[in-house]
Amino acid sequence: MLIKLLLVFCKIGLLGFGGGMAIVSLIFDSIQQFGTISQTEFADIVAIAQVTPGPIAINTATYVGYNCAGLLGSLAATAGVAIPAFILTAITAKMMKEFSESPLVKGGLEGIRPATVGMIATAIITLTTPAILAEEHLGARFNDVLQNMPVDLVSCAICLATVVLIGKYKKNPFIVLIVMGCIGAVLGV
Amino acid sequence: MVPILREAMVNDKKWFSEEEMIDILSICQSLPGVIAVNMATYVGFKKKGLLGSLVATTGVILPSFVMIIILAKGIAAIGGNSYLLGALAGLRAAAAGLVIVAVWQMGRRVIKDWLTGLLALASFVLILFFDVSVAYVVLLYLVGGVLKAYLNMRRIRGGGESDAD
Repeated sequence: MLIKLLLVFCKIGLLGFGGGMAIVSLIFDSIQQFGTISQTEFADIVAIAQVTPGPIAINTATYVGYNCAGLLGSLAATAGVAIPAFILTAITAKMMKEFSESPLVKGGLEGIRPATVGMIATAIITLTTPAILAEEHLGARFNDVLQNMPVDLVSCAICLATVVLIGKYKKNPFIVLIVMGCIGAVLGV
Repeated sequence: MVPILREAMVNDKKWFSEEEMIDILSICQSLPGVIAVNMATYVGFKKKGLLGSLVATTGVILPSFVMIIILAKGIAAIGGNSYLLGALAGLRAAAAGLVIVAVWQMGRRVIKDWLTGLLALASFVLILFFDVSVAYVVLLYLVGGVLKAYLNMRRIRGGGESDAD
């Protein structure tokens, strides 16, 4: 299991072009085969990874590894996702500064960019579904009506509020997330 | 994390100039993986060789690793506490919102014409509806981009040669 974890995350680390969220969607795609993490749990992990310091991709890998196989699992996953990049970067540092200026490399990276948009767009589905279709609706203990709705209205509201606060008003994402977490804690399920 | 790294290395420690930093950034962005980790590896290597890169990479990963483990254990221990579950639900919803904003911002930067828009939509459909592994999509688009650049290069060179006749 540990070896498998390491290898899977090495593959992720090797193909992780397009930034943190792209790597996160790669992680979700790859852990389906382990079967130990549900979509809701993954959404929780990503949410926590957002509010902890450090790159979101590393944090997600660590947490996923922990859930799969405890402390050793988290080490395997974190090392796995870092190693390919480490090797490639060390080689590049030693040899090729011209690497990043090669038109082939630039072409490859530019080709990836639309894919990244698509990948992260699927992450929207992956993350919003558990939030909105959760079994226990936020605030339900105060108002039964909320529980009987087909979707979790409060979660919808939080999601929309976040989009507006971060997208339109450019508030600090970390603060917004923490505030929403507190609101959720107060309301309870 | 990138601005923090830049600040530390250019202004604080004065290890690199601004131009060198720009080079380092562009190289690290061209490689797979988390850019912060790549930067740590690269800078570590430049300063103190292989050992330096190991130390720097471990350094940049370790604090968040420890924190996640502590959080993971804590959350597992607290279990089904109503406040915790509520907080997680709130965070879930907010994180989803954050990703929506991220896609929007990225989409605005990346999608400049109908082709890029179509390509983005195609990748979305492939992953979500046709269950194509994300890894394959990445490879496909990577190879596609390299091929396009290669064909471009040949076209430019071919045009140059015939002009010289």
